[in-house]
Amino acid sequence: MSLRRQGTTLFSAMLAFVGAAVVLQLWLLTVSVEALLSGAYKTLIPAAAGSSTLLLINAGLLRYVFRFDRDAHGE
Amino acid sequence: MNTPDEEQGCAGCQAKATPKWRQDFPVEWEGDHYVTRREMVKFLTLGSLLLASANWATVVASRLLHRGSHAERFIGSASALEKAGSVLFRYPTDADPCIAVRTPEGKLVAYSQVCTHLSCAVVYDKAENGLFCPCHHGLFNLTGQPIAGPPTRPLSRVQLEQRGDQLFAVGMEAL
Repeated sequence: MSLRRQGTTLFSAMLAFVGAAVVLQLWLLTVSVEALLSGAYKTLIPAAAGSSTLLLINAGLLRYVFRFDRDAHGE
Repeated sequence: MNTPDEEQGCAGCQAKATPKWRQDFPVEWEGDHYVTRREMVKFLTLGSLLLASANWATVVASRLLHRGSHAERFIGSASALEKAGSVLFRYPTDADPCIAVRTPEGKLVAYSQVCTHLSCAVVYDKAENGLFCPCHHGLFNLTGQPIAGPPTRPLSRVQLEQRGDQLFAVGMEAL
């Protein structure tokens, strides 16, 4: 199996994970905006922290994609 | 004359010779799937960055909105409150209607008048001993908790101070 074919499979799995994380972040944003408008400020920082954690996970996966891509170009 | 690579059937030589732009615009389906999925992961991560930034922007916005809420403001006299049962005032800004009530136990409480359902103004209902929203018949008790109707979140509480006969709003409690 070529590295590129492995990459296609791997990126499909990553897509599913990153897509789910982005949907979760979208939900966190709607919760935050609703909390902001209703004055429930205590919800905002945990929601932002959760969203940032998901961003870090996504950024880590993207870094892996870049490294994988570099290796695939050199195949 | 064949090069040594061609003689050995070097698989990677073709890829090495191909410029990067050409690898990003492949002809074969396999290469196309690889590129489109990789690009989609990049695009979604950018979206993730924007969503996290927007979440932190709500935190900043809450700080800006909440900043002036510790300013002290005279809201009326205690004698007027005893007479009417409730006093309407605006706090922390002129765009924020609030209501102060003396409970049957004699405790002084004040809340934002904005119903947490659809932002109608709540009024004091002496018979129900609570704050009533006439739009959709929501009812809050005098601790600000919703007890009937569509509202599910409590009212924002205003901190009060009584100095002699004068009443002052001194802050908003975050929910």
